[in-house]
Amino acid sequence: MKQTTVGGTKRKLMNALAIAVLVIIFIAYMFPFLMVVINSLKQKRDIIKDPFSWLFTIKGLSFDNFVKAFVQMDFLNAFKNSLLVTVSATVLVTLLAAMLAYYIVRNKNKISDLTFALMVASMIIPFQAIMIPLVSIYGGTLNILNHRLTLIFMHTGFSMAMSVFMFHGFIKGNIPIALEEASCIDGCTHMQTFFMIVFPLLKPIISTMVILNSLAFWNDFLLPSLVLTDKKLLTLPLSTYSFYGTYSADYGTIMAGLLLCVIPILVLYVALQKQIIGGVVAGAVK
Amino acid sequence: MKSKNKGKDFCMFGLPGMICFFAVVIVPFLYGVYLTLTDWDGVASTKNFIGLRNFAGVVKDSQFWSSLILTFEYVIVVVLLVNVLAFAIAYLLTRGIKGQNFFRAGFFTPNLIGGIVLGYIWQFVFSRAFVSVGESTGWSLFGISWLSTPGKAFAALVLVTVWQLSGYMILIYVAGFMGLSEDVMEAASIDGASGWTQMTHIIMPLMMSSITICLFLTLSRAFMVYDVNLSLTAGGPYGTTEMAAMHVYEKAFTSRQFGVGQAEALILFLVVALISGLQVYFTKKQEVEA
Amino acid sequence: MKRKVSGKVIATALTVSLLTTSLTGCTFGFASDPDDPNEVAEEVPIDTSVDTFAYDSSLSGTSITLLNSKAEIQVALEKMSAAYEEKSGVHVEVMPVTDGDSPYTKVVSLYNSGNPPTLAILDTTDVIALAEEKAADLSDEPWTAQAQGYLTEVNGKVCCFPLCIEGRGIIYNKAVIEEALGREFDPASIRTQDGFVALLEELKAAGISRPVSMAKEDWSLGAHHLQYIYELYDGTTAGGQQKIEEIKAGTLDLESYGRLQEFLNMFDILKAYNVAQGDPLGADYDEMAIDLADGKTAFWFNGNWAWPNLAEAGAEESDEYGFLPYFMNNDESDFANSQIQASPSKQVMVDRIVASDKQQAAAKEFLNWIVFSEIGQQMLVKTCNVIPPFHNNPYEPADPLSADIYARVQSGDAFNASVIVPNDHWAVLGAAMQKYLADRSDRSELISAIEEYWAQQN
Repeated sequence: MKQTTVGGTKRKLMNALAIAVLVIIFIAYMFPFLMVVINSLKQKRDIIKDPFSWLFTIKGLSFDNFVKAFVQMDFLNAFKNSLLVTVSATVLVTLLAAMLAYYIVRNKNKISDLTFALMVASMIIPFQAIMIPLVSIYGGTLNILNHRLTLIFMHTGFSMAMSVFMFHGFIKGNIPIALEEASCIDGCTHMQTFFMIVFPLLKPIISTMVILNSLAFWNDFLLPSLVLTDKKLLTLPLSTYSFYGTYSADYGTIMAGLLLCVIPILVLYVALQKQIIGGVVAGAVK
Repeated sequence: MKSKNKGKDFCMFGLPGMICFFAVVIVPFLYGVYLTLTDWDGVASTKNFIGLRNFAGVVKDSQFWSSLILTFEYVIVVVLLVNVLAFAIAYLLTRGIKGQNFFRAGFFTPNLIGGIVLGYIWQFVFSRAFVSVGESTGWSLFGISWLSTPGKAFAALVLVTVWQLSGYMILIYVAGFMGLSEDVMEAASIDGASGWTQMTHIIMPLMMSSITICLFLTLSRAFMVYDVNLSLTAGGPYGTTEMAAMHVYEKAFTSRQFGVGQAEALILFLVVALISGLQVYFTKKQEVEA
Repeated sequence: MKRKVSGKVIATALTVSLLTTSLTGCTFGFASDPDDPNEVAEEVPIDTSVDTFAYDSSLSGTSITLLNSKAEIQVALEKMSAAYEEKSGVHVEVMPVTDGDSPYTKVVSLYNSGNPPTLAILDTTDVIALAEEKAADLSDEPWTAQAQGYLTEVNGKVCCFPLCIEGRGIIYNKAVIEEALGREFDPASIRTQDGFVALLEELKAAGISRPVSMAKEDWSLGAHHLQYIYELYDGTTAGGQQKIEEIKAGTLDLESYGRLQEFLNMFDILKAYNVAQGDPLGADYDEMAIDLADGKTAFWFNGNWAWPNLAEAGAEESDEYGFLPYFMNNDESDFANSQIQASPSKQVMVDRIVASDKQQAAAKEFLNWIVFSEIGQQMLVKTCNVIPPFHNNPYEPADPLSADIYARVQSGDAFNASVIVPNDHWAVLGAAMQKYLADRSDRSELISAIEEYWAQQN
């Protein structure tokens, strides 16, 4: 991982410049998030009158919003619900999508072509267009709304298309078929080939998809709000409902609630970073 | 996978994922298509078949077509900016610079803010932070809130979308760069080829599958923009920034023309399907066969 | 390798720093200000010693649901349903309409999911859209006798229960005006448009150069401002509805319709003294409450629902706030210059399609309980903090804005016209009004937008 010295000072200069630009863009990207962090520690009046104030002077920070959010959201219960739904759906979609994508890449036939085309097309269906049909079918006809399993199943179904699309691209571009042919000679079954040889090579894309999917499931509002009405089952984003009024919103508590919601995702992201790099290093060593 | 156990492979690898997908996405979608051919208003207990009358309503809805044109303009700008920016940042973040994990975590944060908070924070930036910059510098660009004039409100919408979507695309481009083998990158830099040739002749072709995916995702997401539209401008000032997806939703639920709204959603879908289909077809042709 | 590790450390540090920011907040967080405006008000005690309501014991054990679209009373409703359950044995599950859903969308999706709420708190237009298909007939309910003047009928049947009265007008902050003018201020002394302008000029001379706040939001402009042109025709719902029919039919020439021109004259006055005049579409709703409470402005066009915002901004219940009418002209005898509009804003609908007979009976009993039981009467006013539309309710709301509306309703200084317009009226014409507010269109353009909108409704 040594930096090559070709180009000498000019290259160094370019690098320094690139980093400087990066830092500026980085600050612009982080700014809204910092605003959330800062304002989550303030009272509503101060948020409205002076949202910037603590960028420069730190005075009278208060943890009240977090306490209030924690209590009103019934945080632990909602956290448990979110965790159950997100983890199950993420595991399910990662496995099923990787397998389906692998099948599609390696088997050129009418069914796989049609499925793939439908999936790509389905990613541009506006959710609002299937919202009412969806509840009519699953609620009115099948009457299985208000269960965590239904939500997990729907999350899996809705994220299937994009996950397959991503795995498809990666498998096609990065997994040489020669490896599998070798294992075929060794007498492995297709399942074994897939899980022992192909799946580990998918690490970078799996990490990325785990992040993207779990983020989507964890933060999703619309679908859970259609599926779950029982208070005991509410997920984290749904449980912040009491902070919103018709004519006003309790911004401090909302931002504190938002941070409580997203910190687990941020931790997951940082943890998976390691996986992405680990995967690539392992691939390079082979 | 050779052809020996075709049926078994299909059942084990293909079927489970397909069942999920068809049950949750395709079946409701087809049911939705059927609803566009009825006079159902979302509530009534009876549905009468009325043929294409809802589509005639779409043709008459001039607001829908103007929102569609606005959406086109928006999509073009957003797709270009998002991909150039995300590609460049992802490239820099995989060059092994100091603290790149820290940077990556930071560029990830736009993904964490959604809903009303997103609208609130950015409204604040445009109507207050920018205005106070304007007051202290006298620049007319920041004189009044960006959200109160149509042109600048559109620009604000683009800016926030670029911020949010590029945070997402950086992730995918980073994964793409990580998938390139070290040898290629090393070889590219030792070659002595200038940075630009290196980029266009070696890196870009290898990154084509990531580019296809990101182009497609930005294209479809920009076309479907709803959350940012609603929470940032709510279509304002005076209805000038209402994009197609928001119009469809308003038509179905605010104007209570469920059938027409559903038909507009279908038309929007067909338009986007056509455009992104062409995009995928053309960029796929550029991909290097592995 | 070293580089990689340090990168990881920094990335973790980012997360940790977030957590510690919160934790340091914790350690320093106890110096809370005694005058903290965000402190939750002391709970008003409810006297439950007297209860003469006759409960139907056969309903005990029934479970019903209540969909609530008035988010600010969610907690209060939960308390109310708990009190009712304790007495009657009927369980009322209060379901909120969450952020991101409109109440109508929510109720439509619930009906489609086969799981609609037994009771639904909705806007009047939503109830009317659903009544024929879904609503139970409430015409024979005992409470209807106590709500005369506030009943909504579809096909000659009472279709919903008025939950609260809301009124709107020009909110004033008396202390600010008196301090600026250095003399007593009697709101009743302002009885004409000219009188109002003279007051504004006086305030301007006294240093409050732009004393008015007006929201840029389309619901405020399109519904609360513009609907005066219908409601102020003669102050009755029927009169307003008749004008709408005439506009729709094209038989009323808006250019020469007096109330429209008068309305725009008043709107222009508010515009001219708008504190955000430099950028009226950049005005911030939450800031308006703070400006009024702090005395940067003296007036805010809004309704009694604005009280929680004012309270958060530091206003106390003992402060003197109240409403001025939307002055239409200089004729002191015109009711528009002395009365403000107040009508039921949220309605409760009972489902007749999915709910069982027992559930419907329990739902109806719950509504009667709100009107007739001593506990229900108290909780509606004190816990939910709303203005009751029921003549037999002896309790008065505590906050000054609701108290002013309540007093006006009692003394006849309010009119209850509330026209039914299509649901997208506020959105479509709100946009046209925004354009007018920002001086990007003139009267004739606004008028043609109104004509065009109504022409499309035929």
